[in-house]
Amino acid sequence: MSTTSSAAAQIRSRVPRLAEAAVERARLTVVPARRVRAARVPFVTLVTVLLLGGVVGLLLFNTQMQQASFAATALEKQAGDLAARQQTLTMEIERLRDPQTIAQRATRLGMVVPAAPAFLDLDTGAVEGDPLPAGPEGRLPINPGPPALPAALNPAPEVVTVEAPPEGVLAEDRGNGGRNSGDTARGDGRGGDGGGRNAQESQQSQDSRQNQQNQQNQQQARR
Amino acid sequence: MRRTRPTRGRRGSLRGSPQARLRVGFVLIAMVLSVFGGRLVQLQGVDPGSYAAMAAAEGTTEVLLPARRGDILDRNGEPLANSVDGLMVVADPKLTADKAPEIATFLARRLDVDYARTLERLREPGSRFEYLARQVPSTLADDVVSEARERGYDGILTRRDPVREYPAGDVAANLVGALGTPDPEEGDQPLVGLELAFHHWLAGKDGSARYAVGGGNKLPLGDNVEVAPVDGKDLVTTLDRELQWYAQRVLRQTVQSSRAESGFAVVLDSRTGDILTLADHPTFDANAPELAKKEDRVSRALGDVYEPGSVEKVLTAAALIDAGKVTARTRITVPPLLQRQDSPIGDWFDHGEIKLTLAGVIAKSSNIGTVLAADNFEPGQLRDYLVDFGLGAKTGIGAPGESGGILPSGAMWTDQTEDRIAFGQALSVNAVQMAAAVNTIANGGVRVDPNLIKGTAELADGTEVGTDTATRRRVVSEDAARQTMKMMERVIDPDAGVAPGAAVPGYRVAGKTGTAQRAVDGGYHGFTVSFAGFAPADDPRFTVYVVVQDPGNGGGGGSVAGPAFSKIMGYALRRYGVPPTGTRPSRLPVEW
Repeated sequence: MSTTSSAAAQIRSRVPRLAEAAVERARLTVVPARRVRAARVPFVTLVTVLLLGGVVGLLLFNTQMQQASFAATALEKQAGDLAARQQTLTMEIERLRDPQTIAQRATRLGMVVPAAPAFLDLDTGAVEGDPLPAGPEGRLPINPGPPALPAALNPAPEVVTVEAPPEGVLAEDRGNGGRNSGDTARGDGRGGDGGGRNAQESQQSQDSRQNQQNQQNQQQARR
Repeated sequence: MRRTRPTRGRRGSLRGSPQARLRVGFVLIAMVLSVFGGRLVQLQGVDPGSYAAMAAAEGTTEVLLPARRGDILDRNGEPLANSVDGLMVVADPKLTADKAPEIATFLARRLDVDYARTLERLREPGSRFEYLARQVPSTLADDVVSEARERGYDGILTRRDPVREYPAGDVAANLVGALGTPDPEEGDQPLVGLELAFHHWLAGKDGSARYAVGGGNKLPLGDNVEVAPVDGKDLVTTLDRELQWYAQRVLRQTVQSSRAESGFAVVLDSRTGDILTLADHPTFDANAPELAKKEDRVSRALGDVYEPGSVEKVLTAAALIDAGKVTARTRITVPPLLQRQDSPIGDWFDHGEIKLTLAGVIAKSSNIGTVLAADNFEPGQLRDYLVDFGLGAKTGIGAPGESGGILPSGAMWTDQTEDRIAFGQALSVNAVQMAAAVNTIANGGVRVDPNLIKGTAELADGTEVGTDTATRRRVVSEDAARQTMKMMERVIDPDAGVAPGAAVPGYRVAGKTGTAQRAVDGGYHGFTVSFAGFAPADDPRFTVYVVVQDPGNGGGGGSVAGPAFSKIMGYALRRYGVPPTGTRPSRLPVEW
């Protein structure tokens, strides 16, 4: 290498310096490689910040979500409790609004169901119907009677069959009971207490006897 | 360096040759790896699914999202049945046995449970799950359990247990029915009534949610599968809760004071056929159905068929007038006793030969007069009319347990049968059928289907029922209906008729009594007394039908059912603000 370069120098020196400047200008030389050294610190800082920011952000996001989840669970529970509470209160209201409860309270205040309504015509001022105060006849037993006695205290009545009393003969004429007569043998309406009880007199009396017996049994059992 | 060499040599001799060491090492590694390999095959090859499932189950919970059961409402939206969240309180006896007496005392005080039984359950040996209380309102159950925890009682837990609440107790209970104690696996257990018939409509479909949990909280990014529940649909009935309540109380008073076996009452809106009331006695408290007898839990008004008696004369008369055979003024000579093919027919009252108009026959409820008038029918004509009136066929209102009654047909329809059917024996009906038939007269001769469901609802078999599907048809002419109405008004007349007790002061009322022999097990025993009518007579708004079975006081349709009719009708007219029409009642002659 050193020999060739020195040879070149010799040639150069030997060549007459013709348009030396132009030759000099035309000569190509290798441009020295330029090494651009970017500053390292900002880049590293940026990456670190990004990385840290990402990790911390993710962590915060995650924590935030967990917090939200806790809050959601707590709120859901609260909502459930409140819904249950509301339902219980609604149930209470419904019990108080029950027609039976209202009627009991009204009865306790001495209120009765009015008999006949009266209407006031707002155009003419005329009153239709008899505006009478409600009387005690509107009283209605609203409470159930005492519960029935348990079977042990209320045995089935012993039925004793007896000869039909003489008035039963009368019933024969009218075709007592049975599918054949098939008519309304008992009185409609007033007939119940009036004239129409001949056909079923015997049966009727037997029924009432049974009832009496039943009541006696009950009384005995109570004693 | 030279000095260390011999020591190395000595150590080397201790470790043996490198080749031997390597071999041993490889064998050891191969053994460990083959164990891993075997385990891998076991996990992945033999049964991979179950392990995956176990892994997934760890930290994943699956919860049931219960569907809400639809409410049963009355026509004004008042609840007849609604659902409330409830909990069951259960115990783990393994944890509770030690403190059983204290816990039992605490629970007996707070939950109103039996001390002795609770104590026994808390100590149940070998068990890990015992019911302590069922269907407790959830607020109360939660309070009790958290208080128990504060007191240091372990092993008291809650589980879901929905409560069906019937706020009005026995009001419409026979119709609405009841739910039994829910089965933990299968859910609601409908027992009777609309609850049973419309179970599919009301029930809805439960959903479920599966998600990963950590420390009792849902993991935000974990697995999350949710199937939303489909709530049941509400069932809106045409009933009026207040009127229903009043009718039930009147009915109870009527049945008890007449020492009757049972009774039922129907209130129809004359124009639409809506069933405003379907009352039954005896009834039961829907909140405690297990305390009632089984036969008291169904609707007798639908299931108990009976012979309607004289109320049916109204249908016969309307049909006769429509067929152009008679008018309200047709004169009939009524003998004391009518001899027919197989048996004599008599009247309920003793009389010689009397002269009644058709109006008088109805007003006095004469069997003989009705049979004589019905002789004008062509063969089979009466039956066709009765079929048109809706007898012999189910009303199809949607409530379960309806019995269609019997209208004889074919060979069963003989002349003798026809005679008796003309005055309401030898055929059987249910109360809603009969009320709808009488309502045909009230509605100017047009029969409207009775309805129990407002709008539409679907039964389990897909049948749609309700006001939307109701039909109307003309049965008798408007003129025939009006003449029949006028005759029915004479029944209430204190002088001409037999049921002045059914009058509603201030209003024109048309009605008819019925006192029929009651068929029990193939023979006649006791009576069915009834009263059907409508008001205001010249512009009917309501049709009320009251039936009392086997009164023990010897009363008839007018004296037992009439006053009950009057009370229920009066209440309905007042409640709906129906003013009197102010016209004069009919003055049709009853005698000639």
